[in-house]
Amino acid sequence: MPNLVKLLRSQRVIWTLLVLPGLWPLWPIFISQNPSVTADPFKYVLHHLGFVACIVLAVVLSFSPLRVLWPQWGVAQALNRHRRLVGVAACVYAALHLCTHLLYEGGFEIAAIPTTLLTALDKPFQLTGLIAFAILLVLAVTSPHSAITWLGGKLWKNIHRLAYVAAGLAAYHQAAARKLFPLQVVWIFGPLVILEIARLWKQRRPKPAAAAITPSGAARSG
Amino acid sequence: MLIRTPQDWELPESAATPESLYHLSKRRDFLKALGVGGAALAAREALAATAGFPSKVNADYRDPALKPTAYEHITSYNNFYEFGTDKAEPKVLANRGWTTEPWTVEVTGLVNNPLKLDVNEVVKKMGGAEQRVYRLRCVEAWSMVVPWDGFQLSKLIALADPKSEAKFVTFTTFLDKKSSPGQRQGNLPYPYIEGLRLDEAMNELSFIATGIYGKPIPHQNGAPLRLVVPWKYGFKCIKSIVKIELTDKQPLNTWQVLQAREYGFYANVNPQVDHPRWTQASERVIGGGLGRQKTLMFNGYEQQVASLYTGMDLRKNY
Repeated sequence: MPNLVKLLRSQRVIWTLLVLPGLWPLWPIFISQNPSVTADPFKYVLHHLGFVACIVLAVVLSFSPLRVLWPQWGVAQALNRHRRLVGVAACVYAALHLCTHLLYEGGFEIAAIPTTLLTALDKPFQLTGLIAFAILLVLAVTSPHSAITWLGGKLWKNIHRLAYVAAGLAAYHQAAARKLFPLQVVWIFGPLVILEIARLWKQRRPKPAAAAITPSGAARSG
Repeated sequence: MLIRTPQDWELPESAATPESLYHLSKRRDFLKALGVGGAALAAREALAATAGFPSKVNADYRDPALKPTAYEHITSYNNFYEFGTDKAEPKVLANRGWTTEPWTVEVTGLVNNPLKLDVNEVVKKMGGAEQRVYRLRCVEAWSMVVPWDGFQLSKLIALADPKSEAKFVTFTTFLDKKSSPGQRQGNLPYPYIEGLRLDEAMNELSFIATGIYGKPIPHQNGAPLRLVVPWKYGFKCIKSIVKIELTDKQPLNTWQVLQAREYGFYANVNPQVDHPRWTQASERVIGGGLGRQKTLMFNGYEQQVASLYTGMDLRKNY
């Protein structure tokens, strides 16, 4: 376990873990040349990038409940060092997903992009994805420390709570992407929902006397 | 004197032959690849018609502008929810012990001459198979061009001799939970059902396919026989049919039961009527690289089918 914690504390390890899933489509498209994928490679890339964006978003949101639930756990502490990096990665994957959609829906013609965007505004399935991305973009832009001082801690924190709205929208968007409800939505966002409920339950219950003496412990959560 | 004006999409027979010959020559390799031994191969030859070959190219349904999609893509990118909801799954799961031989299909309901025949018999009665190259446009906004082998649906219906009160045709797919993981999970209400108006079914384009590219139709594409109605979205082209029933009531097709706001009875390809979640104005071409093409009204078969819908509001009857 200490080795795992050491690995997870390394920014390089996290970087690698974040980049690798983005490279995955190269395998079925170029190396194994899976005909089910090469039939419509950009659809595959599009779905894959959206899928990774959802996973990364769910993962980063689970960091803080993990720390609240198991404050002494080394893994939770290590992961919480990377909240900003992982959060920005979720935004980057969402951006790549949106770019793929904008290019691919218009047959890779730049002139078709405005029409594609207008269509997106018109359809709840696409609009929810677009709003989720817009939220992630705002959060990524305001992720540097300087933004916290500029906005003030309280406002900054409230803005960053929008991440939960983004997750809800992303879950809907992902579910609506298929003709039938895809179970992957449950296994991506389900654990997060459970963790959040557990976190709320822990924070709401009457605090033991020891915790009440150290208010700094409570202030750190969230 | 009869003067016949050749239509712009017609092709001289001579131009059509080489490709079909090419594919026929590969038939043995194909059967070998399936693991069919010598004796079985001989048996297959005896049933040649049923297996979807040899079929004659019908030049009337072979637009030279259409470039057929690669066999590999046609048979690896499938929507066949009985064998999984992912495009790659049917190729694997429909070839894991599901048998389509022998296969009985019945034509029943409001007919004077109900039929219940082995699929081989059906193809023989239809006078063998012919090949037609049709566009296939999926409701998910992708398209293929498929050289189907089979026969015109109207011939089969005519054989059953519909009664005058018959107005609709209901098609039913097999129900076999043992062979079908999708049916075990119940990802859709099964058996899968589709329907056409009788005049749609009698249209010259409506086709029953038993082969692709001159080869027997692979399991994942709806073996041993499936419907092909090229001016409608792909989900209307019901696979692995066991029953064709003539009725006087409009049938409820499976997708309509599931999500009536998104999938209607008609499901005619129409670039002006969007799916609630995406546009239908254009389509990705399977195996076509980066490009995207404009979707055509009735998938390019306006001339043949538009008259079926005169006076109808196609926005309402989607």
